[in-house]
Amino acid sequence: MGRFLAKRLGSMLLAFFGMTIIAFGLIRVIPVDPVEAYFTMNQIPISEEGLASMREEEGYNRPLLVQYSTWLVDAMTLDFGESFVSKKSVTAELLQRFHVTLTLAATAFIMIVTVSLTVGIWSATKRGGFIDWLSRSFIFTLASMPSFWLAFVFVYIVALKWGLLPLMGWGSFAHVILPAGTLALGFIPYYIRLIRSSMLEEVNKPHVVFARARGVKESVIIRRHVVKGILPQLVTSLAMTCGGLLGGAAIIEIVFTISGVGRFVVESMFARDYFVLQGFIVMIGGLYIVFNFVADLLCALVDPRVRIKGDGA
Amino acid sequence: MKKLSSFLLIFALSIVAACGNLEDKKQSTSSNPKSVLTMSWVKDIGQVNPHMYAPNELFAQAMLYDPLVSYGEDGKIQPALATSWEMATDGKSYTFTLRDDVMYSDGSKLTAENVKRNIDTVVDNSAAHSWLEVVAVIDNVEIIDELQVKINLKEPYYPFLQELSLIRPLRMLADSGFPESGTTKDGIAKPIGSGPWILTDYQQDSFAEFTRNENYWGEKPKLKKVIVKIIPDAQARMMALEKGDIDLIFGSGQLAPAEYQALQKTGKYQTMISEPSSTRILSFNTTYGVTQDKNVRLALQHAFDRQTMIDYVLNGLEQEAYTLFAPGFPFSDIKLEHYTYNLEKATQLLEDAGWALESGATFRTKNGQTLTLVIPYNSGDQVHKTIFEYLQSAWREIGVEVQLIGEEDQLFKMRSKTGQYNLIMNDTWGVPYDPHMYIRTMTGDKQIGYYAQKGLAVSEQLTANIGKVIRSTDEGQRRALYESIFQTIHEEAIFMPLSYRTNYLVANNELANLSFSKQQYEVPLKNFEVK
Repeated sequence: MGRFLAKRLGSMLLAFFGMTIIAFGLIRVIPVDPVEAYFTMNQIPISEEGLASMREEEGYNRPLLVQYSTWLVDAMTLDFGESFVSKKSVTAELLQRFHVTLTLAATAFIMIVTVSLTVGIWSATKRGGFIDWLSRSFIFTLASMPSFWLAFVFVYIVALKWGLLPLMGWGSFAHVILPAGTLALGFIPYYIRLIRSSMLEEVNKPHVVFARARGVKESVIIRRHVVKGILPQLVTSLAMTCGGLLGGAAIIEIVFTISGVGRFVVESMFARDYFVLQGFIVMIGGLYIVFNFVADLLCALVDPRVRIKGDGA
Repeated sequence: MKKLSSFLLIFALSIVAACGNLEDKKQSTSSNPKSVLTMSWVKDIGQVNPHMYAPNELFAQAMLYDPLVSYGEDGKIQPALATSWEMATDGKSYTFTLRDDVMYSDGSKLTAENVKRNIDTVVDNSAAHSWLEVVAVIDNVEIIDELQVKINLKEPYYPFLQELSLIRPLRMLADSGFPESGTTKDGIAKPIGSGPWILTDYQQDSFAEFTRNENYWGEKPKLKKVIVKIIPDAQARMMALEKGDIDLIFGSGQLAPAEYQALQKTGKYQTMISEPSSTRILSFNTTYGVTQDKNVRLALQHAFDRQTMIDYVLNGLEQEAYTLFAPGFPFSDIKLEHYTYNLEKATQLLEDAGWALESGATFRTKNGQTLTLVIPYNSGDQVHKTIFEYLQSAWREIGVEVQLIGEEDQLFKMRSKTGQYNLIMNDTWGVPYDPHMYIRTMTGDKQIGYYAQKGLAVSEQLTANIGKVIRSTDEGQRRALYESIFQTIHEEAIFMPLSYRTNYLVANNELANLSFSKQQYEVPLKNFEVK
């Protein structure tokens, strides 16, 4: 387990370093820099001399390697620089909004896990039954609807027509339900299908057949053998979804008028706010890497084959 | 079991509903319907730094800060923080006498020293304001006494007072609003102004609360509070209005023409359209490809049915435009013959210029070259996209090929600077910028106006006249110069005015005294009332 852990940690650091290069490099490849973007956004015709003097002031005309290394050194201490638009610290700007996005993503995550596990297991165990039929048609319908459109339908019916939940904004738990639900709906069909099909596969495996032959109770078989068997695959998939939820909250945040990281980053993208974008990519990328690491650990705990393979290689 | 679960469901829903209501009250209008107005806005208002641009929103800057002089409804310059002013005979200095009853919202008084400090900080950051002549032309500011300042200019500049009246960057911030570094280009400490409103509560990206300034020196607002909710999505704004979370959607930036019309059709709201605020124009590039040919420019003007476009794309919300500025704009009441819709004339013009339509061909050619127009546009702008698609099909009828290039906003603007286009969408700026500011862009390198005139034989004379008109201190001479400039622009057909843009609003029926400001970026909230 020790070697497995060390190897995983090493590759995690390497991935992290690679990501900072990509974060820095990709953004500079996009045409138009923050100084120019600022003036075009304000529809101000500015002279080349004006642009040049402001670039000089902001340090955008230093060699790229110098810019990258200064940024990287600062980033190690969690100082991601200053936003060109707001002139505030990027770390503060991101953190101020991050808890909102995190609450949204975490609630959506819980919804995904509970709904898809319940429905997935149910429809796999009662295969061909009414619930199975219903859930499968439900999956097809849901999977074919874009989430922003669903968001509007929900807002229209639940918030506007029935007045059960607030239309928009942030503040209480009631504000979280609709946006988190909409966010979760984008993922739930996938997970129901994943759980159902991997369970059906698992049911026919020799150890399950053997358990059934021994006369073990069906509910125990499902819990102890089948569900446990699909866990590694599920956990790995969920880890990827965690990052996806954080990154994918942008549209939901715009529709529901929530001041989260997603909305902020979309605005920063149009403004080419380099430091905000770099900080965001590193933050979300870092979380992806950490989630994956945790998922690997969990898999290793659940499935001894993973850690033995890791130790032996 | 069934009963229990339905009971639990109802119980859960009622808790949720209770939570929702609790939260709503915090920012709701209905709690105090008589004196609070809630409106939506697309973007956060920013720090509301009077001396800088985005993310500071113009309407909020106008609510908090006052200029020395203001732009009156009739286009005349009116007293504001300054009661009177005097221009030196050579036009190179202005002496302002300040009001003695102006108090900032922190209780401090407006003084000549404070005015100097404000102007100096803007002039020190001139790189950011290089587009604005007034900043470049100010030489220094002298304090005469506590309530008198003299602004010395490097050279005479007739629109000096007009540009002082702009919402930014020359409005006054209290001393306590300046940051530690002393220069507002680093941001401000607090938004302390002398305007009709005070910013009393604010949550970034969520809402801003403005309260009436009881010490305001001018006519005080009728409303007690204005709450601005930041709602970036148009559908969400419409639903918020329907639910009663907001009372007002102000400005064409918040609703597309079709959305305005949809709300109007419900019959549940009051709707209003403003007078022309600026002009939607297509600007030709006279230095690039087929649009160097004057006959092509004229033919395209005659092959454009403005009324159809306005009816079907702009839902009838704007008026046909045939001149660069709407009649009624300063110096703009000049008789010019309109290029009206006339396909025969358009075809004739192209034939005359040698653009022939071979039998069986769809597009015209001349010396092996096809008559193709390259038109880039911002792909995020649905209205522009639809206008161009309409033009693409309309011009096909006279054998002109249109190549549309939809790009992200920043990339689109970058292309506009390179001049790699034949036609491009552009708006004039509206008062008090127009006409002088838009005209002046024609002399600036790499700007849309520059590409419009650069290829003309009369380019040099035209830009010389533009240079002269903004330096001219004689009203009569100025009028004559403007007339000649507008004449040339029209004869050379370098701009194709489409429609006069309007502003519009949708409000619930409880609001009264709604109106628009002459300046399209200002919301005249001071006059609004709740019945």
